[in-house]
This record gives sequence, structure tokens and C-alpha cells, in this order.
Amino acid sequence: MTRAVLSLLLVLVVGLIFNADGTFLKWETHRDMLRQVSVFGILSCGVTLVIISGGIDLSVGSILGLSAVLFSLFTIHLGWSAPAAIAGTILAGAACGMLSGGIIARFRMQPFIATLAMMVFARGVAKLVSGGQKISTAVQQPDGSYLYVEVPPIFDLIGARIVDDNLAVVSLILLTCILFCWVLLARTDQGRHLYAIGGNEEAARFAGIPVKRAKILAYGLSGLFCAIGGIAQAAQELQGDPEAGSTYELTAIAMVVIGGTSLRGGQGTIWLTALGVLIIGYLEKILSINAVGEETRLMLTGIIIVLAVLFQKGES
Amino acid sequence: MTVQIARLALLAVSFLSLAAATGHAQEARWIVGMSQCNLGEPWRVQMNADIRKAAEEHPEIDVLFKDAQNDNLRQRAHIEEFVRQGVDLIIVSPKEAAPLTRPVRDAYRKGIPVIVLDRRVLEEDYTCFIGADNRKIGRAAGRWIAETLGGKGRVVELKGLMTSTPGQDRHTGFREGIRESEIQIIFEADMKWLEPNARKEMESALARFEKIDLVYAHNDPAAHGAYLAARAAGREKEMMFVGIDALPHEGRMYVQQGILAASFEYPTGGMEAIRTALAILTGKEVPKEITLPSRVFTKENIDKGGEILP
Repeated sequence: MTRAVLSLLLVLVVGLIFNADGTFLKWETHRDMLRQVSVFGILSCGVTLVIISGGIDLSVGSILGLSAVLFSLFTIHLGWSAPAAIAGTILAGAACGMLSGGIIARFRMQPFIATLAMMVFARGVAKLVSGGQKISTAVQQPDGSYLYVEVPPIFDLIGARIVDDNLAVVSLILLTCILFCWVLLARTDQGRHLYAIGGNEEAARFAGIPVKRAKILAYGLSGLFCAIGGIAQAAQELQGDPEAGSTYELTAIAMVVIGGTSLRGGQGTIWLTALGVLIIGYLEKILSINAVGEETRLMLTGIIIVLAVLFQKGES
Repeated sequence: MTVQIARLALLAVSFLSLAAATGHAQEARWIVGMSQCNLGEPWRVQMNADIRKAAEEHPEIDVLFKDAQNDNLRQRAHIEEFVRQGVDLIIVSPKEAAPLTRPVRDAYRKGIPVIVLDRRVLEEDYTCFIGADNRKIGRAAGRWIAETLGGKGRVVELKGLMTSTPGQDRHTGFREGIRESEIQIIFEADMKWLEPNARKEMESALARFEKIDLVYAHNDPAAHGAYLAARAAGREKEMMFVGIDALPHEGRMYVQQGILAASFEYPTGGMEAIRTALAILTGKEVPKEITLPSRVFTKENIDKGGEILP
């Protein structure tokens, strides 16, 4: 924990030095950083649960894309009410996750393979249900012409900022997800089961822990968080893009790992992930406000990941 | 006196922080923020290069480049950052219209001039839109092909992504251009803008047809892919290849090498963006919409810098 806090402080100091004419000192910069990381942060909540249980989830970006498409389809094209659309999307996301979890638990397939398969599969489903098109407020009619409809109010509600324009609703959703994971991991049997399985699966099984059920729960929740992320993404983009979220899984995993949760499983907390989310969010923001070129940005990102993980290693 | 010293000190501090933070040229009078939707396409890399080159001739302008890496929300953040940084003008080449309409409008309503390049945003809350007309370019390509083939011939059309407007316009325009002629389209396929796809589709066309007179591809890489397929079959001398975009290191080079018979320029608008930015910053009136002229490059005219399309 202390190391992750130190890393975050270090990043903040870098931001203070390279403040881009004082932009870093403005509150709005931090508010927008929080909004920008929110979707990634929501994904990394689910990834944290899976990694603690000793697994990995590569499918989060694709399930996010599928969810964004479904949510837009339900609300804009089919005219469902907001609660129905949200419930439908969350069910679909959780079902995808539970399917991966079920395959991993039942057939003892490696999580890397099973979720890689889900990553490809869910992207395919997203393209199928969207017809390869973005689901937007321009609705194609049977004769090929376009009908322009209003953005559903739920989009504006989720994409908005509240408390006198100071807090993005999506950031609030992220905070809720983090608190949910904290309660689950630190206060419930289900949470303790995940740590036990991640620490030593055989021992957990002998101790009578329902390993299969716990794994399906972990991946199912990861899928659920993807659906929430997908809804947040669609609401902010005002459309459901079947390509949305590609490579997001890498960022979400990086956020968990940079926070200090080990990929070996059995340890870590949601607060470490929250710190990881802030570290990566601030790094991106600092590079962005300073208009650092693409070449430099990519090289720096590579170097920073290695340094951060080396730094974390020293702790354990 | 003290006021003056205080002012000087303030100036010195702000200069120092400016230099320390970003290392910008301090003589620049205006900062222009440029957000590119992605730098994965050579055409967009060229657009940035054109802007950079045009801006270098004007030391009073300093351009901050940002790359949104094909992410709408990242591009929205760029525009908001530019507003916060207090840039004097924003140039944006949007990834998509819907998600970027609001940030562009917010910046524009805060009094920052916004130039929208190549792809549009919805509504009219921006200062100036600069873009080329794909349909016109497609039509010119159609007419040129009809003329070059003497009014008749067997043509393969390799289309760009047909769900994208450039693909649709380059197709519709082309069909309008050849309407008066007896040109036959014997094979058409969607290559999704990608050279490997174009090569595969062309292999099918070569296998099916004994005689092909010309390949019209919606971009130069696809025309090049078709050429490679024909060469692998030993048939590249039988037919001509025509592409669109005419980037200096791509289409124009292929024309120079004799691989393509012609390439039709899809201008990036980088130069015009800087010219328009200067006009706006010096208080001149600019039109709401600028349609860029396009050029055709052939073996005959390439050394003279192409020929402007009517």
C-alpha cells in the first residue's frame, strides 16, 4: 500500500513540475482525469476480483463493447425504458462472464485461454447485433434512409456532471463499484473464498470451499462490471460502437498490477487497484496536457510499467 | 516603480514556468491546439506533417499536437484540455461526429475559434469546416478512366469500407463519372481500405476474368495491392491501376514508379487549416465551409506537381 501511495505521489510531483502552464494546478483537470479513468476503473474492479482468485480476464474490453451496443440498441432503437435497458445489459454482461467462469471451473481450462476465446466471441456478437454499424441516434429505415431521433435522457443523465459541475456521474459509478468490491472482498465469505482459491486452489478445495461457484461468481461479476462500463461508455459517446473497448483489457489489467496486486493471485485489495487507476490516469493526463508526441508517449509508457512493477517487487 | 518591478517579476516567473513546463518557443504569439483522431493512417500522419510545415513558416504560431488514438472520449478530453490551457484556436479532425459535437460547441461558445478538418461534427457550432469532396473526386476519376480507355473497357472496382461515407461517395461519384460511357464493371469487392484485402480480392478477379483493362481502387494502397496480385500472376502489363489519395510517399511515388497510371489527390487540408487559422487570429472573416481543390497525378504531369481538377 505504501509503495502504491508513494508511486502516486511521485506521479503527482511530476505533474506539478510539468504543469503545462498551470493547467495541472486547475481543479477541472483533475475532475476530467477522474471522468476519463472511470470506465477503465470500473473494468479494473472486476479484473481485481478475478486476479485475486488466481485468474485473468482478457474479455473485459469486448464485453464492454457488446454492452455499449446492447444498451444503445435497447434504448435508442427499441425504445425500452432506462431501467429495463440497464437490467438487460447487465444481465447480458454477467452472462458472458459467467460463461467464461463456468468453462474455467467446469473444464479446468486456463483462464487465459477461456477469456481469450470470450474476448473474440463477444466482439463477434457485438458486431452481429449491431450489423457492424454504430448504434447511434441516426436510425436506418428499411428503405435505407436515416431517421434522426433524440438522445435518450438516460444518456445525458449518466454522461452529466453533478454537484455544481464538479463530479462526473461516471466517476460516482466507479466509486460505487469500488465500495461494492471492498465490502465483497473484506467483509463477506465470498470474498475470503476468492483469496483462498487464489492462494492455493487445492487447499481451498480440501477446506470445503465451493471453488466452482466462487470462480463463476468472480468472472460473472467481472462481466457485470463490463456491462456497467459499457453503459457508461455508450452514454458518454452518445452511441454504441461495436469496436468500443478494444485494448481496454490491457489498461484495466495494468491498473490492477501497477496498484500492487500480484498476478499470482491470493493477495491484493481493491484500494490498491484504486491507487493504480489514479496512477495511470494521472500519467495519461500529464502526458496529454503537455502534448507529448506519440513516439515518446509509447516509449515512456513501456518504461514506466517496468519501473512501477520493479518498484512494487521490492515490497514483497 | 514597485508596480513595474512586480509586473516584471510576474512576467519572468510566467516565462520561466512556461519554458520549464513545455519548452515552447516563447516568441509565438498564438498557441493553436490540434487534436488528430488517430495517427495509425498514413493520410492523417501526412495531415499533421502538412500542418507542421505550414506552421513553421509562421513563427507567430505554435501548434500543440495531440493524438486521440482512435478514442472518442480521449479526443473530447483533448478539446477540454485546450480550453483549460487557454489556447487561442483549436483545430480538430474528429473521429466521429456525435460524441464530439458537444465539446466542440462548448469550446466555440466559450469564444475559442474552432476549425473542423475533414470529418464533420453535427450542428453549426464551429468557426470553419475544411474538407474535400469525395464524390467529386470519384466523378473525376470516372471521367478520367472513361477517357483514357476510349469510352469502353472492363474495369474492376475495389471499394473502401462501404459503411463509411468516403467509401460510398468514391463509389457513387465514380459511377456518375462513367455513366455516359460503355465501361463495364466486371468485378467489385469491399476491401475495407486495406491492402492485403485488396490483394486477395484482386486474386479472385484475376482467376475469374481473362481480360481486365483497369483496376479502380478507392485508395492507393488497394491499387498497389491489386498491382502486386496482378504481378504475381504475370499479368500486370495487361492492365492499368488507378487509386485515390495521392500521398507524397504513397500514391505519388507509385505513379512516379509507373505502378499506378493515375492517383487522385484527397487533400489533407493541413496547409489551408493554418492559413485559415491565421486569418481568424488576425481578425479576418472566413467562410463557414471550405471545399478543398483536388489534383490528379499521372506519369506526364507528376514532375510539374499534378493538375488541378476542374
